[in-house]
Amino acid sequence: MSGCVAIVTGGTKGIGKAISRSFIKKGIKVFMVFSSDEKAAESAMTELNSIDNIADVIKADVSDRNQVNAVIESVVNKTGRLDILVNNAGIIRDGLLMLMPDINWHRVMDVNLNGVYYCSKAVLRPMIGNRWGRIINIISPSALLGRAGQTNYSASKGGVLSFTRSLAREVARFGITVNAVSPGVIETELTGYMDEKVRGEFLSMIPVGRFGTPEEVSNAVSFLASEEAGYITGEYISVDGGLT
Amino acid sequence: MEKENLVEELKALIVKNLKLEDVLPGDIDPAAPLFGSGLGLDSIDALELVVGLEKTYGIRIPDEDVGKEAFASVNALTDYILRNKK
Repeated sequence: MSGCVAIVTGGTKGIGKAISRSFIKKGIKVFMVFSSDEKAAESAMTELNSIDNIADVIKADVSDRNQVNAVIESVVNKTGRLDILVNNAGIIRDGLLMLMPDINWHRVMDVNLNGVYYCSKAVLRPMIGNRWGRIINIISPSALLGRAGQTNYSASKGGVLSFTRSLAREVARFGITVNAVSPGVIETELTGYMDEKVRGEFLSMIPVGRFGTPEEVSNAVSFLASEEAGYITGEYISVDGGLT
Repeated sequence: MEKENLVEELKALIVKNLKLEDVLPGDIDPAAPLFGSGLGLDSIDALELVVGLEKTYGIRIPDEDVGKEAFASVNALTDYILRNKK
């Protein structure tokens, strides 16, 4: 995989950073797309470039088509190729539907679903041109089970899963695979804010009896991105300790 | 003359790009529809042709409406390229 080029959206923090790191370790040049947290972007750059000096960051909002197209164009102009796209950027605006402000519905759809649409669409030309590509979408158990308070989020992630299956069928003959990874409860910044009661409730639902690590998610992504996974497409892998 | 050359060039490009094993460039009727009937190409084949044409001629086929016009026939495609190439 050395010499390949990847874009990881939301790639500077949490699960996204673990994915970026796993690619860097394989010699894959990574462009991490981030939307706002400059400090996290800077520290991800320092950390990952200390492994191998092939990490880069680009600031862009994945829900903005023009910004997405500019990102893909600049990566292809710089490197002449684009092999892997990981659609990892996502937001949560939880709330019960009856009382949900419209903006919370639309913003979640814009980032989680429209973002996947813009990014995936933009990488198809370079990938079809090279007759090789990997698109990996990060989804959620919410896409598979449903969860009260997450109608917006689960609809967006369920949409991404269906999108994954259909796009896989469109581009299979060009050597491009499209798959999804569904991380369960993973130890990140977010879980750090959970109080003991909530932690306990989540843990009681997870047969493995612990939260996952970002590395356990990136292992699955890294596998799907590899040459060895070339016959797997339109599928998802749950990395959730048996939750679903 | 430019147009005639381009018609021949495109026929060869289509055969090569889409790896049409049983078709020779000379077999392609420049007035016949490229997709649906005739060569029996499907719309997914068209994606690779779009990418190849964009690369070769510096044109842009941004969406399916333009694609339908450009891929109506080899003649239509020739006109489209002559009008839009950089």
